[in-house]
Parts: sequence; C-alpha cells; structure tokens
Amino acid sequence: MKRSTKRSVDQQKSGRILGMPEQAVKIATVVVLIGIWEMLSQAGILNPLHFPRPSKLIATFWELVTVGYPTGITVWVHIKATVVRILQGYALAAVVAIPMGLAIGRSHLLLRATNPIITFARSIAVISLLPLAIVWFGVGELSRILLIAWGCFWAILTNTVQGARQVDVNYINAARMLSTSKTQLFFRVILPATLPRIFAGMKIGLGVGFMVIIAVEMVGTIKGLGALIQQARFYYSSHIAIDGMIFIGIFGLLISFTLDRLERIILPWAVGLEEVER
Amino acid sequence: MNHSGFTKGLWASWLGFIILLVIWQCIATFKLINPAVFPGPLSIVHTAIFDVPGGRLLQHIGISLFRVALGFLFGLGAGVVLGVTCGWYLKLGSILRTPIELIRPIPPLAWIPIAIIWLGLGEPSKVLIIFLGAFFPVFTNTYKGMVTIDPLVVRAAQTLGLGGTKLLLRVVVPATLPDIATGMRIGWSYCFGCMVAAELIAANSGLGYLIMNARQVGEISIIIYGVIIIGVINLITDFIIQEVLIKRKLKWQYITT
Repeated sequence: MKRSTKRSVDQQKSGRILGMPEQAVKIATVVVLIGIWEMLSQAGILNPLHFPRPSKLIATFWELVTVGYPTGITVWVHIKATVVRILQGYALAAVVAIPMGLAIGRSHLLLRATNPIITFARSIAVISLLPLAIVWFGVGELSRILLIAWGCFWAILTNTVQGARQVDVNYINAARMLSTSKTQLFFRVILPATLPRIFAGMKIGLGVGFMVIIAVEMVGTIKGLGALIQQARFYYSSHIAIDGMIFIGIFGLLISFTLDRLERIILPWAVGLEEVER
Repeated sequence: MNHSGFTKGLWASWLGFIILLVIWQCIATFKLINPAVFPGPLSIVHTAIFDVPGGRLLQHIGISLFRVALGFLFGLGAGVVLGVTCGWYLKLGSILRTPIELIRPIPPLAWIPIAIIWLGLGEPSKVLIIFLGAFFPVFTNTYKGMVTIDPLVVRAAQTLGLGGTKLLLRVVVPATLPDIATGMRIGWSYCFGCMVAAELIAANSGLGYLIMNARQVGEISIIIYGVIIIGVINLITDFIIQEVLIKRKLKWQYITT
C-alpha cells in the first residue's frame, strides 16, 4: 500500500515503528488485540455469551466448514447460495442498465427526461423495497434477485450515463473525419471510451449488491451468508454470528480484489492512459 | 447551453416524470395488473390523505430521523477524531488503523444480528448499526484527506511560524474538510439504508416499521407511500447537507479548485 508520507510536518519517514518494520507492527497489533480478548474472556470480564473467546471462534470456524450451521448446511452451501443470487441479480442489472445508460448518455432529450426519475430512484433505500418485493414476488428467490438487481442497476446506470456523456468530443470528431459509419463510431469509439466508467459502475454496483444481499437474506431463508448470521441471532449463538461476519468480510475483500485485477486485464487503457499517449 | 435549450430541457425533465405517472395510472385504471396488488398513483395519494394520519406519520418520521441523526453524529465524531489522529500521528495511526481496516470490509448491515445479541432489540442496537454506517466512510475519507494534503500548504504555514496543534487545527484540518464532507455525504446515505434495514428487522416504530407493518396487513399503497416518503426524506436531507452545509461553509474550497 502506498501512502504519501512525504510530509514535512512529521519527520517519520523511516516507515519503522519502535524499530520494527510497519508490517510487523501491524501483525503484532492484531496478535496483541486477540490475546487481550482471549485473556479478558478467560478471566470472565467479557461475557462469553456476547464475546466468545477467539479460540472458540477458531473451533467454530472449523465446525462451520465441516458440519455446518444449521447442521448439514456448511459454509460452502451458504457462500454458494449468496454467490448465485448476486450473480443473477447483477447480470440482470448489467444487461438492462448498460444499453439504457448508453442511450441516455448519448441523447440530450433522454438525459433531461430521465434525470429526475433517476435522481429520485437512487435516493430510495434499496432495503425499503424489501416489503414491497415480498408482497409482489413472494418470499422466494425472485424477490431477492430482483432487489439485488435494483441495487446494482442504478449504480451501473448512472456511471454508464456519465461515461457516455463525457466521451471526448475530439475522439468523435476525429472518427467522423475518418468517415466512420454510425455503428462503427458507436462500437469502435463511444463504447470503448465509456467502458472504464461502465466498469467503475459495475464495481460500485457489486458493492451495493453485496450489501443488499446480506440484509435481504435475513428474511425468509436459511441458506446464504446473511441467513447464517440471522439464524445465529435467533439461537443467541454469538460465536457463529461473528464467524459468519468474518466470512462475509473475507468474501467482500475477495470480490473487490478480483474486480481490481479484472479491470487491469480487460481495460488496460483505462489505467495507463498517459503512457499510451506519446 | 443556450437559453432555449435550457427551458426545453426543463420541460423535458418534467415530461419524463409525468409520462411515468400516466403509464402507472393507466396500468391501475385499466386493471392490467390487479390494482389491489399494484395500486396506481391516485390511490396512493388517497392513502396518503385518508389512511395514514399525518400525526402518526410525523411520529414515525421523527423517530427514524432521531435514530439516524444520533448514529450519524456519533459516527461522524468518531470518524473525524480517529481519522485526524491517524493522519497526524502516522506511527500511532498505522497501529490504530489495523483493527479498523480489518473490520471495514464487513458491511454495516451484517452487524445487525450481533448488535441485537449484544445490545438487545432496543434503540442502542439500531444506533450502533447506523453509527457503523457513518463511521467507516467518514474515517477513510478523513484519513485519506489528511495524508494527501498539499505539502506546500503545510510548508507555507510552517514558514510563517505555525507548528504543533495550531498547525493541525488552523491549517491541516481545514484543508481536509472537503474530504470529510465527502465522507459525510456517503456516510449519511449509508446511515439511511442502515436505519431502514434495522427498523425492518426489529422495531415497533419508525418508517421501516411502518412499511413492514403495512406488509403484514397487506396494505400495499401504504408500503409504496412509505417507500416514497423514505426516498423524499433522503433526497431532502442530502440536499441540505450538500447545498447548505457543504457549499456554504466550504465556499472557499470550491472557488480555488
């Protein structure tokens, strides 16, 4: 991780704390914190019902992977259920939002006409649609997928619109000067120039979808990471809830890490624009 | 853009909304979808006027806003204080940031079950979740603002003899304010989502409860009305934060950049 520590205010340029490299200090911090937590629970200062010991959390971790919670539903089943839902909703949102965003972004009239609707729809909290989705589409999978799609949709749409609007006029003029047809102009100039923003929108959208799914899974299902922690709450099993949260955190990190990598592979021109322009 | 283009645009922006409403009303009027399941805008207006007493609605809005404001203020305070501390004392910061960065990937809504186990079903658990919604964006943006501050600004202040706490409070923190403001806006919208989710899952008052309760009794127009109210309040409060607080207080930042 790069940080701009070149500040004259603090002469702390060495990157070493108490004579140790920064990474070591960070690891030590985690170890010490977990150690304190373990000791406080052992001593009975922290209520073990609320703050289970880290050693118990590790044992539970293993139990979740092998036996599962509720029994028989291992953490892999939960993760799979969540992934399948996110992917379905996400794909649905992307398929609708990207063409729509391109159309809106390239047309002044459409942009004007949809702007208030988009602004308002974006300010609606996705979760507040949960009761409505349940009434309309039942408590099944369809409701969950549609809610995820709704959450992702607006992020992808607004970013696509922004991207399509901000295509450099010089590119378009240059392409026109070379007498490109309208279809060619769209597929060879506008679309590639918009892709970085579309990707940014897809990244934000996935983040939103990830947040939505956790809440949505808390209602009416026992499969999924959100369901796992909600079930744990019903049975007052804080160790399972905390382990579930750790799984959710790791899962979220994995998603954003993969997307960053993917962006560099698929869209090299979005990152090193300056290097290409000589 | 020329003047006529602007007025045309304004006209178009309302037209889009009106077309949407008309289509919606037509679906209900011609019973394309059962109006009991998919009520039109007119019956929602009817519900708004006759079925939901204004006093009760204001009560729900009041309690929801109170929860959001409380959690948000705690989150804002903690985020700014910790962000400034981590950005000013970098070595202490890299220790303090370690646990924060470890917890950050967990979305605030995933805290709902453990918050209920820890604090019960009452107000504290909701405020905790809303707090988390505000804390992380405010903290990360404040910290980012602190470490990416223009070194020239700091050096200029030092040349003029400022140092220590005075440098921090008179120069560095004001220079970080735009980033704090960004964190505030993101945090506020997160808080709103957290409030609704927390109220849906466990509450007996507030806007989230209003729509969840309407679902149980099958009053779909009340649900839609509640969703719209939540959206409008979010829109208004975001506008207040952006236009009134940020633009007015940070005018100088927007002029220079």
